[in-house]
Amino acid sequence: MSALTKATPRWSSIRVLSLLVFVWAVPASGQQPAAESSATASYAVSSDPLLQAMREELDRSKSQLKMEDVPAPYYIEYRLSDTDEYFAEAAFGALRQDQRFHARTIRVVVRVGDYKQDSYYGPGIGAVNIAPIDNDPIALRWQLWTATDQAYKAASEALATKKAALRQYTADQPFDDFAHAPAVESIGPLAKLDFDPKPWKEMIEKSSNLFRGDPKIESLTAGLRFRAVNQYFVNSERTVTRHGYTVYFLTANGTTQAADGMLLSRAPYYTAGTLKDLPTPEQFQADSAKMVETLKELRDAPMVDEDYRGPVLFSADAATDLFNGMVGRNVLGIRPKPGDSARTTGDYASNYKSRVLPTFLSVNDDPTMKAFGGKTLIGSYETDDEGVRAAKVPVIADGMLVNYLMGREPIRDFPESNGHGRAGSAQSTSPNIGNLVVESKQSLSPDELKQKLIEICKQNGQAFGYYVETLGGPGYEPRLLYRVYAKDGHEELVRGAVFDELDTRALRNDLVAAGNDPLVSNRDGQVPTTVISPSILFDDLEVKRTDAKNQKLPEYPPPDLIAAH
Amino acid sequence: MNRSFLRLIIGSVLCLCGVPLAVLSSPPRPDVLLETMQRELARATTSLAKADPAPYFLTYAVTDTNALTIAGLNGSLVASTTVHGRQADVMMRVGSSALDNTHSQSRPSGITTGTLPLQDDADSIARVLWQLTDREYEQASGAFLKVKTNQAVQSEEEDKSPDFSQESSENHIDESRPAIALSQKIWEDRIRRVSGGFLKYRDVYTSLVLLQGGTSHSYLATSEGTALAQPAAMFRLVIEAETRADDGTNLLRVESYQAASPDQLPSEPELVAAVNKIAADLHALRNAPAAEPYAGPALLSGRAAAVFFHEVLGHRLEGHRQRDEREGQTFTKKVNQQVLPTFLTVVDDPTMHEMNGVKLAGYYQFDDEGVPAQRVVAVENGILKNFLMSRMPITNFSHSNGHGRRQPGLMPTGRQGNLIVTSTKTVKDPELRQKFIEEIKRQGKPYGLYFEDIQGGFTLTARAQPQAFQVIPVMVWRVYADGRPDELVRGVDIVGTPLLSLNNIILTGDTLQVFNGVCGAESGQVPVAAVAPAMLFSEIEVQKREKGTQRPPLLPPPGFENATADATAKSGTATQAKP
Repeated sequence: MSALTKATPRWSSIRVLSLLVFVWAVPASGQQPAAESSATASYAVSSDPLLQAMREELDRSKSQLKMEDVPAPYYIEYRLSDTDEYFAEAAFGALRQDQRFHARTIRVVVRVGDYKQDSYYGPGIGAVNIAPIDNDPIALRWQLWTATDQAYKAASEALATKKAALRQYTADQPFDDFAHAPAVESIGPLAKLDFDPKPWKEMIEKSSNLFRGDPKIESLTAGLRFRAVNQYFVNSERTVTRHGYTVYFLTANGTTQAADGMLLSRAPYYTAGTLKDLPTPEQFQADSAKMVETLKELRDAPMVDEDYRGPVLFSADAATDLFNGMVGRNVLGIRPKPGDSARTTGDYASNYKSRVLPTFLSVNDDPTMKAFGGKTLIGSYETDDEGVRAAKVPVIADGMLVNYLMGREPIRDFPESNGHGRAGSAQSTSPNIGNLVVESKQSLSPDELKQKLIEICKQNGQAFGYYVETLGGPGYEPRLLYRVYAKDGHEELVRGAVFDELDTRALRNDLVAAGNDPLVSNRDGQVPTTVISPSILFDDLEVKRTDAKNQKLPEYPPPDLIAAH
Repeated sequence: MNRSFLRLIIGSVLCLCGVPLAVLSSPPRPDVLLETMQRELARATTSLAKADPAPYFLTYAVTDTNALTIAGLNGSLVASTTVHGRQADVMMRVGSSALDNTHSQSRPSGITTGTLPLQDDADSIARVLWQLTDREYEQASGAFLKVKTNQAVQSEEEDKSPDFSQESSENHIDESRPAIALSQKIWEDRIRRVSGGFLKYRDVYTSLVLLQGGTSHSYLATSEGTALAQPAAMFRLVIEAETRADDGTNLLRVESYQAASPDQLPSEPELVAAVNKIAADLHALRNAPAAEPYAGPALLSGRAAAVFFHEVLGHRLEGHRQRDEREGQTFTKKVNQQVLPTFLTVVDDPTMHEMNGVKLAGYYQFDDEGVPAQRVVAVENGILKNFLMSRMPITNFSHSNGHGRRQPGLMPTGRQGNLIVTSTKTVKDPELRQKFIEEIKRQGKPYGLYFEDIQGGFTLTARAQPQAFQVIPVMVWRVYADGRPDELVRGVDIVGTPLLSLNNIILTGDTLQVFNGVCGAESGQVPVAAVAPAMLFSEIEVQKREKGTQRPPLLPPPGFENATADATAKSGTATQAKP
């Protein structure tokens, strides 16, 4: 197919543009005077031109939107996400990306029906539009107007489709489609991206320039991504919230190949809620140098044994990955598809009030906690993205699952939100963790944990156990894995390992000890989250040799260096 | 905002600014960039010559781009950004020119793309090129083995031409920098003001004013010794707006302008006038009757005829389509036969800078394979003479004629540049309308159709699909035989088969009109121009366009809450057809 078009093909161009949102750090110019506040508008609303425009358009839609033979909406919400982002990347000592952009999106949800049964289904889960980056009430309302119209029409179709789909199931849903929630007014300060990019660019250039010291380093890059996000929310229940956050992310990435072709990579990263929580240039350079050094060590390290079953000690850093993936994802109250009688979609769907961890561990999620051990937690927030106040939720008490993290979509036995409905820009909300904190009644020091590992080895008659320093990749692939010899406790780096059956069952049955070294792991995903966990020891875990095929070594050597630096 | 979203954004920017630009940062020093490319290319060529299978051809192409995007709607900006980027494409051919890894469906194996450092850091640039080359070798050598296996097991191909033509090497280093004076702030304010013009119109539901463009420098180094450095600059301003008729038909109007520098774009009053014209057209279209299926005389304006020829004829003249066995190959075996009325001649001339004072978007000096641009007489007095050739040979056409084009990141194919249709059977334009009415009467039809503006279109050239074409006419008028005023209709689609339609042209006007645009095909988006006079067809067939099902918005737009429906009258009156 070929096409000649004056613009980009047909109407899709505007939709493409709705994704193509970016700005060269233009501060919202043209601040327009806010329109006069109506008698009912709160101070919170009238103090912010965006919230005021959102409130006005929402009120107009709620009171007037009505199609023949379709009920009027019983609920409308508007969420505006403002993202100011800077990112840069350097490869082999030179910058190759350097950009800042500013964009706003809106997401409109219109619900038809009632709390018991409504249209939040398929196309009825909302409409998305691009929003002006100027604080211009009329232009913003115009975008809200078209999105609301689209969302209402989609909702009316969705409700009909949903009713038809539900007719094939006999059982009545024992919970509502949408949870009631009190009206909340909470206006937080605006988050801002305020920094000088120059030293940061120099920092990543300098880090990635370390390739010069080792001709076998095949790629070395460093990058950063800083963003400030402000979420504006209003709904027809008179909730109005505004909350902002900043996330600063810094990373270095290196790859090399062992003589047999095995690809070895490292990608340490730092995620922080404030600039001061990021490493200093000196620290980052030292850490990068250490990474390059470990790549060299990995290249020369022996392959892991073919089979191993026995004790494995996970550092606090590695443990946060496990708790994030295995506990964090499974304690979310995400409703399964209609007709599916399971409580949730996760591994813990049928584990309510049963044991999922050893009894010495408890887990809670507390978005109201702002810092831990002097570090800002990026999973903190006052109100979630459905305008519900955040609360500390005990999730696992003494090993027993006692709660799910809930947004406003109820599941069996959990009719209400506990302030965990979260969403990235333009996305639909979904339950998510905020600050997931793993607490242990045991608190062994790292040395004591290592001793315990050695004891188990001796009991089993094994020459060594394993210590995982850091995980990476899509599964739980060990990036730095050491043999810990029972004889004298010395450690030896190995490569080429994967875990087998490292799952929620192992977490429940084989976890025997935890450390006194809780670590804050900030994680920047669709929404910022934090996991805090100590080191953990499994007494019985399988470690195998990877069966991934080795890659070819480079066909010809890298270019000789010209510059002296 | 998550990272994949971000990549999508960046991807869109680079892709939409297919023909890029240089605004703010200092231009690269070709002595470092080009020399590093050449040095690393020579090293790769020597090193890989020992490999088995070995490459016989290697190209490094680097595009250094300074792109700008400013978008606004309803008086506010939605985006304003500049991006400096350097994209490197490593293109490799393994095997021999008779048969290589790019053969047939394996063509994408010939290219690997990556991002180069923004500064002239020779060590860093060399490292990235080395990485990309090593990756490309692995891909190309693997693909070549598959190609050889396929050749052994599949039936013989009809066109046994080699995979790559021999061309002489070129050396052309243009270090000139287009001096672009652009104030982002001034354009931001201008776009705010121009886009704010749509706020007056209650039935323009969505609109956008977009400035995209910038400058670029392209560098090409090949293992055959070609070395090119060429600057380019292009800025496009697009205004688009949409409404919906009561029956659910979506109605879109787009106006676009293209220039080598922002100061050559229309002035602000002209842009404001365009906004008002678009709004008036949409209002008129909203209230116009829906088209009925019809076959009969039609008059195409010069611009409409130009798009028609680009789609219906131009794409079928692209060389590579003549050997791809999945293609319909409408013209493959028609060389030296009559394919058009004898009064029409079609050339594609990328060397032409402008026509009647209008700059042509399809101008270039060298194509993307480093071959000098050439004027190609494709159809002479109705007789098919030539195809638009890249370095992919076809039967009887063994060389490129400088039409190998591509968007960075994709393999080149034969593409149009400036397609120019000229006629020897002309009348003055006003007379053409008279002849049109005579033809309507002669055929005993109540009316004929005048196509004033065509949105663009798409052409299906593959065998698996019907050999149909479709263009999207926007402003179409019924011209009545009995002298009633012309009547705008909406929702018209032209249908039909190419050969038949082309031979229904009976007469043309005497003024060439230019359509500048961006053409998308397998090798990506490239800027093109199409030029043609107005044309009278004895018959064109139209069908009703598929319409949407959604009604217009239920509530009036913000600011119109208290206005009555009559306020739409503000939108102005329909423009008159003036063929």
